[in-house]
Amino acid sequence: MPHASAMADSHLLKKDHLKGFLRKLAKEYRLVAPVRNRHGDVLFSEINDLDTAKIELGEPPQNSLKQFLLPQQEQLYTYMVTPEGYDFSPTRTTIPPTVYFGVHSCDLSAVLYMDVVFSRRQRDPFYLRRRHGSVLIGINCNTPSPNCFCNATGSGPFVEMGSDLQLTDLGDRFLVETGRAPGQALVQRWQRFFSSPTDKDREARYQAFLEARGRFTRQVHVEQAIRRLTTDTVPEEVWEELSLRCQDCGGCAYLCPTCTCFTINDQQLDATSGLRLRSWDACTFRGFTAMAGGHNPVQPKTGAIRQRFQHKLRDDVRLNGRPSCVGCGRCVGACFGGTDIVRFVDRACQGIL
Amino acid sequence: MIQTITDIYLPRQAKVEQIVVENSQISTFVLAFSDQQFNEAFRYQPGQFMMVSMPHCGEAPISISSTPTRPGTIHLSVRRAGHLTAAMHELKPGDTIGLRGPFGRPFPMEQLRNQDLLFVAGGIGLAPLRAVINACLDQRERFGSLTVLYGSRTPSDIAFQADHAQWRQQGVTCRLTVDAAEAGWDGPVGLVTGLLDGLTPELNRSIALICGPPLMFRAVLNRLSAMGFSDEQVLTTMERHMKCGVGVCRHCHMDGKLACVDGPVFSLAELRHLKIMELAD
Ligand SMILES: Cc1cc2nc3c(=O)[nH]c(=O)nc-3n(C[C@H](O)[C@H](O)[C@H](O)COP(=O)(O)OP(=O)(O)OC[C@H]3O[C@@H](n4cnc5c(N)ncnc54)[C@H](O)[C@@H]3O)c2cc1C
Ligand code: SF4
Repeated sequence: MPHASAMADSHLLKKDHLKGFLRKLAKEYRLVAPVRNRHGDVLFSEINDLDTAKIELGEPPQNSLKQFLLPQQEQLYTYMVTPEGYDFSPTRTTIPPTVYFGVHSCDLSAVLYMDVVFSRRQRDPFYLRRRHGSVLIGINCNTPSPNCFCNATGSGPFVEMGSDLQLTDLGDRFLVETGRAPGQALVQRWQRFFSSPTDKDREARYQAFLEARGRFTRQVHVEQAIRRLTTDTVPEEVWEELSLRCQDCGGCAYLCPTCTCFTINDQQLDATSGLRLRSWDACTFRGFTAMAGGHNPVQPKTGAIRQRFQHKLRDDVRLNGRPSCVGCGRCVGACFGGTDIVRFVDRACQGIL
Repeated sequence: MIQTITDIYLPRQAKVEQIVVENSQISTFVLAFSDQQFNEAFRYQPGQFMMVSMPHCGEAPISISSTPTRPGTIHLSVRRAGHLTAAMHELKPGDTIGLRGPFGRPFPMEQLRNQDLLFVAGGIGLAPLRAVINACLDQRERFGSLTVLYGSRTPSDIAFQADHAQWRQQGVTCRLTVDAAEAGWDGPVGLVTGLLDGLTPELNRSIALICGPPLMFRAVLNRLSAMGFSDEQVLTTMERHMKCGVGVCRHCHMDGKLACVDGPVFSLAELRHLKIMELAD
């Protein structure tokens, strides 16, 4: 229940005090937040100068936190071939403890999903090292954008857990709810920036939640699409149509905060040394599954598109109890072929709504 | 605490102790980890695979073709298929490669106990089954009769010849066939399914283990079903593109399952629930 918050404790942070609080945090942490750059784009960026950075909390950033926790290309090892052998040494870049500030509910849910991916079966040392010691300061979404549908994926507009601190914008102030222990510690340590909220503030939060819920412009029937996928009743022509329109650009996987499939390759430096790299990959690429000799076990006509949507809306539901699409709408805005996940959900549900 | 996470992607050095040329395309590499202590403690089960690193070539999944009942070295039998596997064929004894593993769900050796085992393989497909066959021979009293049916393209392509001789000596029924005969070949010619003719397995105590190219796989499945094998009595190991080997990169997806962690060994009954190319109409 969004008004009976599951979060432990709540505080008030006047907007006038925000910079002061962030300045304290920036002394001990690397600070990453959505920043409007001089071209007008809003991007999660590292903030070096709080006085000039334009932190933008009302508009969803174009990138997600994926690139910070799973870089687009990451050096895993350097290797050397010597007369004695063939040696790999792990690349240990020092990762500063980082505060991710102003994380929208969709992107927060995406980080929680990545945590599962990179620790469920095996603990991935490279991801976990980046994630370790990070602080997530979330912001509930008051104004969902036209492509947003986190209300249909169970990942917004307001979230109750997962962050260290969770903010709700109440005009001239934020209601700050403490989540995990590191968040509580921050508030305790910097008590002077915070005051006690009144019932009126809590009421205002609930009001903001109700209003946000009413501001979604799209009706995306994710639940129905999940049912169609699990009962294998998505009409064949839907797969065919979407596959035909997919331009194989991989843009959806690039932007998606929960697309974490990767590839591992060597980059030779000279005759005896090189780098082992991990890079983002996309299941819609043919080479994703092609085996030696060109044989490909993925059905060429519709197999790749099936995989994309089945993984997000069927397989991950089976595994985690919820879809791994967080409804951020990024692929909706980016897909020029019209094969984005909302298109899929709409088409998959045709005839049952 | 974070420093203590084992690095699942880090290859270890292993030395090539010996190379057995099986045919013009396949060689078996006998390997030992350079770290002696690690080598002695290394354990695996038949059906599991290793991720092999070769300089500048990245990694490839290769089944362990030796049996854990003979510790000290592991065998990888490799067919020249592309970049990395071709580089392996340039290796000489004393050279070093990188290995991580073992990965994957092995053959259910307990379920095979007291059963008559029918191994059907084509080409390099015998590699993972060789691990099971030798494990059975090393614990002979635990298993029923052993039959190996093996198909090759031509008589000169017949791999694992030393094994066939050894297996025959130990009472295994070994039958070979070739797609095309050459001078001097007086054995059967035709698909490996032909070798199933005339076999009368005791169906209440038989399990078939198959590994080979998709076309062979399909043909063998159909024949086994016709002979009365249930889907639970047929085991196989699946081949897919893999990068991580540990269930994260997802290259080996199979309709919701991952070949690297849910397999590579599957029963036919399990595969029937999946929409996969190998079983498509
Ligand atoms: C579980 C498992 C066990 C295997 N066991 C054996 C074995 O015992 N003996 C043997 O000879 N072969 C085996 N293979 C097949 C072997 O992995 C491929 O032949 C090998 O990856 C080809 O790599 P390449 O660099 O020589 O070919 P290229 O075509 O140059 O491959 C380039 C890259 O594509 C990927 N790739 C291509 N084909 C495959 C494939 N079939 N499987 C996985 N990744 C692939 C690899 O990442 C490789 O680095 C096995 C495959 C799997 C999945
Ligand atoms: S599939 Fe599209 S809408 Fe869903 S999380 Fe990924 S980018 Fe966002």
